Amino acid sequence: MSAPLLRVDDLQVQFFTEDGVVRAVDGISFDVREGELVGLVGESGAGKSVAVSAIMRLVESPGRIVGGHIEFKGETLIEVERGDDGESYRTDATIPDGELRERIRGREIAIIFQDPMESLNPVFTVGGQLREFIELNRDLSEEDAREEAVRMLREVGIPEAAARYDDYPHQFSGGMRQRVLIAMALACEPALIIADEPTTALDVTVEAQILDLVDELQERYDTSFVWVTHDMGVVAEICDRVNVMYLGEIVEQAPVDDLFYDTQHPYTEALLDSVPRPDETVEELNPIKGVMPEAINPPAGCRFHTRCPDAREACKTTNPDCRDVTDGVTEHRAACIKHDAFETTYEGSPPLETGSGGGFDVSLSGGETDD
Amino acid sequence: MTERASSASDGADAVGFGEPLVEIQNVSKHFPNEEGMFSWLSFNRDADGLPIETGREWVRAVEDVSFTIRKGETLGLVGESGCGKSTLARTILRLLEPTEGSIYFKGTDLADLSGERLRNTRKDIQMIFQDPQSSLDPRMKVGKIVEEPMQAHGMLDSEGRAARAQELLEKVGLDPQHYNRYPHAFSGGQRQRINLARALSVNPDFIVCDEPVSALDVSIQAQVLNTMRDLQKEFGLTYLFIAHDLSVIRHISDRVAVMYLGQLVELADKQELFENPTHPYTQALLDSIPVPDPRADGHRGVLEGDVPSPIDPPSGCRFRTRCPELITPAEYDLTDAEWERVRSFMRHVKRRDFTETDPDALSQRYFDGQIPSGDAGDKVSAAIDDIAADDWDAAAERLQNAFAEQSICAREEPDYEVDPEYGADRHTVACHLCRE
Amino acid sequence: MATTHSDSETLGGESVEDFDESEQSVEARVGWRYTLAQVRKDPTAFAGFIIIAVASVVALVTTIDAVVFEYLAQYQVFAQFGVEKYWLAKTIWMSPTAEPAGTPTLLPPVGMENTFGQGTWAHPLGTDDRGRDILLRLIYGTRIAILVGVLATAIGLVGGMVIGAVSGYYGGWTDDVLMRLAETLYAIPFLVLVLAFIAAFGRSITFAMVGVGVASIPKFARLIRSRVVSVREDEYVEAAKAAGVRDRNIILRHVIPNSFAPVLVQATLQVGTAIIIIAGLSFLGFGIQPPTPSWGQMLSVSRNYMIQNPWFSVWPGLCILVTVVAFNMFGDGLRDALDPRLNN
Repeated sequence: MSAPLLRVDDLQVQFFTEDGVVRAVDGISFDVREGELVGLVGESGAGKSVAVSAIMRLVESPGRIVGGHIEFKGETLIEVERGDDGESYRTDATIPDGELRERIRGREIAIIFQDPMESLNPVFTVGGQLREFIELNRDLSEEDAREEAVRMLREVGIPEAAARYDDYPHQFSGGMRQRVLIAMALACEPALIIADEPTTALDVTVEAQILDLVDELQERYDTSFVWVTHDMGVVAEICDRVNVMYLGEIVEQAPVDDLFYDTQHPYTEALLDSVPRPDETVEELNPIKGVMPEAINPPAGCRFHTRCPDAREACKTTNPDCRDVTDGVTEHRAACIKHDAFETTYEGSPPLETGSGGGFDVSLSGGETDD
Repeated sequence: MTERASSASDGADAVGFGEPLVEIQNVSKHFPNEEGMFSWLSFNRDADGLPIETGREWVRAVEDVSFTIRKGETLGLVGESGCGKSTLARTILRLLEPTEGSIYFKGTDLADLSGERLRNTRKDIQMIFQDPQSSLDPRMKVGKIVEEPMQAHGMLDSEGRAARAQELLEKVGLDPQHYNRYPHAFSGGQRQRINLARALSVNPDFIVCDEPVSALDVSIQAQVLNTMRDLQKEFGLTYLFIAHDLSVIRHISDRVAVMYLGQLVELADKQELFENPTHPYTQALLDSIPVPDPRADGHRGVLEGDVPSPIDPPSGCRFRTRCPELITPAEYDLTDAEWERVRSFMRHVKRRDFTETDPDALSQRYFDGQIPSGDAGDKVSAAIDDIAADDWDAAAERLQNAFAEQSICAREEPDYEVDPEYGADRHTVACHLCRE
Repeated sequence: MATTHSDSETLGGESVEDFDESEQSVEARVGWRYTLAQVRKDPTAFAGFIIIAVASVVALVTTIDAVVFEYLAQYQVFAQFGVEKYWLAKTIWMSPTAEPAGTPTLLPPVGMENTFGQGTWAHPLGTDDRGRDILLRLIYGTRIAILVGVLATAIGLVGGMVIGAVSGYYGGWTDDVLMRLAETLYAIPFLVLVLAFIAAFGRSITFAMVGVGVASIPKFARLIRSRVVSVREDEYVEAAKAAGVRDRNIILRHVIPNSFAPVLVQATLQVGTAIIIIAGLSFLGFGIQPPTPSWGQMLSVSRNYMIQNPWFSVWPGLCILVTVVAFNMFGDGLRDALDPRLNN
């Protein structure tokens, strides 16, 4: 297998707030190969959006990338090391801001956000914005760029593309706007598209249309995707490989089929158990107990141990890294010490009292506001 | 009707479990498209004489909806955004005044009530809102929030209310110690529980839940859904549960109603609806949901285009403009395959998503070179000629008038009942495919 | 009395020192305590707050001395203790209104010289054209500035709040009528409106104050209405309605408290404006009548002596400036503190 297109290694992003340091992303590593659709899944507050914005160095103040190395096509998008004084600084290998903006953003890596209304300027026409983007990034004349813009709009399934070129964003429906953004992302035929919950705000039938479109376009352009979502259904539909995030860490990393049929981390398992199914009637849902702790003060040891049905004493002290836990035929990593790959005292450790799995009575009084 | 009126004052005990508690009859709700002093005036440059037109545009948000909710059941109401489900909920609660129709609650027509009498009936009907952020007043403490409905209806004295509020907080799974906290100190799921406690405070019979879990994380959704179910059992509540998520609806409902563009398209027992969906829209909706199972063979994206505007909805069946199973107009003698091609051609012309104008190439591309014979064929040929003359609008209109508008789907409003395969409940479908 | 009352309302009725920082993260990010803590972090706003607080205390003391003591002096019990109008002033100094016989007039401040000679420590800021102590008159003028500024604003605020809340909450026909009326009032220049009011009802500080208050109603009404229109759409208002809460209670308990923040900022800024307007009216002779001391009227008299003793004009001008700027600094700080976008 060739070298990965994008490699994220030990990425750490922290937010320096009044109340303290929030470790939003705490040492995650994953890679994306050519033509692959990699999912980043987790609940709100897991740090998945922050993680992908770090790839393009778009983390906003008070957030800062304090560690890690991101490599794209052999170039270092960012490398942050900690100096002797404890301060983190960018190494010389990091490509400069100007070059990143000119050469990488939009051209090599494009981003699609959740809310298309925020990404389009309401006072300019949709076509005009697309044309300008193409004109700037592909050095085409205005004429050619316009033609290309109409072609792109047609390509992503905008009806009457030529006529709607002069419409304003508010005249488009949510699904249409998301198509425009996809057109914009594809305009420079980038190698990688980062999609941050692009279908969350859409209705199911429209979501299905967009997923179809992405499938189709990926086949045609062979673009790689990083797809951020909280919806296990979407993951199952389109992802090739999946990273499950919990509280700033990746807890499981596996090809999509293994993730669903050979689940190795209790969090992933609990997440799958707690969603109602559209295709079968589930009598009793089995929710995950409690709520996700705040990233400002994460639990010691394994971060999931406060809600984990399999938690034992040992989990309170050991924070496992994400390592290969299966036979090695497929790449399947999990960060749970119940696996043999971790040589710990889990086996002999007494189980933790985290209450019965029944759910709601326990979950509430132990809510995050108490502690 | 007279019978109903006489039982109006009997109160909660008059309705037994399984009996109709809420009956919605032919309810419509239309909004003026613009509000304001002079919104009935509009400017039209092309008009004869004065370039001013009078009259408002109406958004037909809910149109002629009827159904019954039985005591103790959960009726799921599902539809995409903008289909009018929230408007319907607010109309049932009389937060909005219905344009037409009646809403019988325990025999009293809420549409007739106003002022103090309406306010008094609100004790029995409560609502839970979608947005856990904005449905609680940020400047009011949790205890006061829960007590407010009781206070409004003169229930208990202030100590009694405080005691009941704490009891209810505990019931919905919160710590009664949190009585004096402000809402912002709670997470989304906990806020939704405060909402539940507030709704329960006046001991209602009927709770309208407007997307109560759609703003919550999946794992929290499950917790709240379980609580809602437990409370329903304990207090004998009746829910109208509105959601856009069919998985949630499948989990919580007893019967399910599907809405599209202001109208009910299908209503059936839950199992019947999910196992034997009959309306093409329901089928499309079910096919569209991403299934959390990578081995499931999805269909996906079966619907094309967007929901039409409720200002000028399609005639007949409102779903016909997107329906994959539009019925062949009776006057043409077309085979299924031919009809399929005609419709595909019609759709592409309307969306104008090709640039080809050569007649032969078009007939080759969309009809395999075999344009149907007879009347239908003549009309297709005429449209192809229009395109050759670069008059796309004429072509689109010609096809629409000749085919789409001639279908029974465009001419009559469907309303049928089919025999259920599961359970004994009525299964109503608004689709002409069921006309036998 | 009214002075401090309405003043403390503007400031939230709690002293900043009471605030316990440790509670902040757990307890409300709404409410006065949090807002005041935010204000304290902003040095400019805090300085404004201190100036307003000092001015309010001065206004309170002088009001007791001038108004309350005058009232009490009618009763034998108090009179025998020597309670009378300007008692405090007289025991310490002399009446700010009396014209002392034989004292030099237009004395300059201590350390300054002019044709009349050197200032004395008996009159640190000098004396006016009638030989009265300027410092004392300035102190007693604070009372008028604060009282009148705050009361005029309160009239505008309350009037505007009722009209704006009703207009915004009910919408439709009510809204159209009330807002068109407010706009009509808004179309008349502020000063013209106030002068017309005084012309109609008479030349007195009371009518000047009410006039300024009424003239500012449209401004508040429109501001509150714009907030109410958005608050009305919030789900908690709908929830209250669905729960069967009466409209009056919804407006009082939910709509107004949640629309209040920007209005409070506007009110603070408006106090500054009102002080200037009233001072201007006094300057023109429409406001406070002599001999009651007020900054505007002192400024008016002083313009005839600008050359002989410029300090006579400088002091009242400075007082007006400092007070108005203090209200503006505090208002700006309040705006930042109440703006949720800046808070997070």
